[in-house]
Amino acid sequence: MTLDWSVVWQHRDALALGTATTFLLTIATMAIAVPCGIAVAILRLYGWAPARALATGYVELFRNLPLILVVYWAFYVLPILTGLGLSPLATGLAALSLNVTAYNAETFRAGINSIRRGQVEAAMALGMSRAQALRRVVVPQALRRILPVLASTWVSLFKDTSLVSVIAVTELAYVSMQVRAQTFRVLEMLTAMAALYWLLGYPQAKLVDWIQRRFEVHE
Amino acid sequence: MIAADAAGSAPARAERPKAAGPAVIRYLDVVKRYGAFTALDGVSLDVHAGEVVCLIGPSGSGKSTMLRCTNGLEMLDAGDIEFEGMRLARDERGLRSMRRRMGMVFQNFELFPHLTALQNVAEGPRTVLRMASAEADRRAQAMLVKVGLADKAPNFPSALSGGQQQRVAIARALAMEPDVMLFDEPTSALDPETIGEVLSVMKALAEEGMTMVVVTHEMSFARRVGDWVAVFDAGRIVEEGPPRQIFDAPTTERTRDFLGHLGWTG
Repeated sequence: MTLDWSVVWQHRDALALGTATTFLLTIATMAIAVPCGIAVAILRLYGWAPARALATGYVELFRNLPLILVVYWAFYVLPILTGLGLSPLATGLAALSLNVTAYNAETFRAGINSIRRGQVEAAMALGMSRAQALRRVVVPQALRRILPVLASTWVSLFKDTSLVSVIAVTELAYVSMQVRAQTFRVLEMLTAMAALYWLLGYPQAKLVDWIQRRFEVHE
Repeated sequence: MIAADAAGSAPARAERPKAAGPAVIRYLDVVKRYGAFTALDGVSLDVHAGEVVCLIGPSGSGKSTMLRCTNGLEMLDAGDIEFEGMRLARDERGLRSMRRRMGMVFQNFELFPHLTALQNVAEGPRTVLRMASAEADRRAQAMLVKVGLADKAPNFPSALSGGQQQRVAIARALAMEPDVMLFDEPTSALDPETIGEVLSVMKALAEEGMTMVVVTHEMSFARRVGDWVAVFDAGRIVEEGPPRQIFDAPTTERTRDFLGHLGWTG
């Protein structure tokens, strides 16, 4: 069996573009899923009963569905539901955000619950409202505590973006598969894809470890 | 219990010189229950401007609950509390405006661990009083000077001793320029060697004329600094009076029992 690695170099532009899209998807998903996760967690913790039930229902639904199913579902159902002709990228982003928001909501809820009551009381004793106490005292501490969990969510998400290749979002996995299909260089392209994901993912994991050490709060 | 009723009657003016003006805080027959447990069973007490009122008594006797009712951290089940002539608010907004005028110091300090000492003290003026951050920082620095911790401004709470943390917590409450300070067992969580520094800050505050309600197990503080002492037992005040009476000539068996258990010999 002869290997021809030049195929990887020949398609470097497409691969670079795919990598950029993968990064864009990861960043955009997190940019949506962190604030939305906080909002859902706060609704679950402090919302009035119907909102609480809605938030709980949402979390339990999306945590327990395979992501690839959500991706397909978003592709076929979202246009009917919203009447909008969404691009594959926007659809993929929506699916990923729905999924990761549910996970983040649970992470934030655990983080907020881990902050002891006395902290809120101290904030309220100063005259803060409940919302101010959350914003200024509870959430900043909770964020620091759950940073390691968010970090592993991030690293998972970076890889899971590959699932939106099934709806033809031109990210790294989709591009690699396209090149493979056109050139029949299966082993080369899969290896290149693996190397790219690993080389990009590993430093991110390390970076997040560093951030966590840097912002750790000692009690 | 008959003696307790006698002790609760209006004291002679000479024994309570600061009681001339109107009361800043009036507890009127306060009742607080937790399920079947009655934590406060009809407690009445006046706190006058400039007075240091110490609440003493065994654990679980209701002293801390009473303090926490004062600024609405706990809600009353019956009775009332008046603060500066106004009925304690029952709504969030009203409570917030009252809490701004009541500083509170907790047993476990409850400093915000993600903020430095200076940021902890500046947080109230900044977030609640909406002060510009430079101005809030200036006020915070002045408060840290006042509690003797000017050099600890950039330190996080985790880098401070217990006594230092509690002094920062006092500075944090003072930064709101409250009319009254509430202390909930401020030295109970401290190592013996750091208790003194906290008590001396509190004493200095009392000498400036700050109105203070202090839940404490430090009998020597209650005796030396207190203007008025209320002895709690099982959700009631069993005796109140000037420290001289409580510590030297207690009129009820319960007070004698309690002080005896502490090994207080006068």
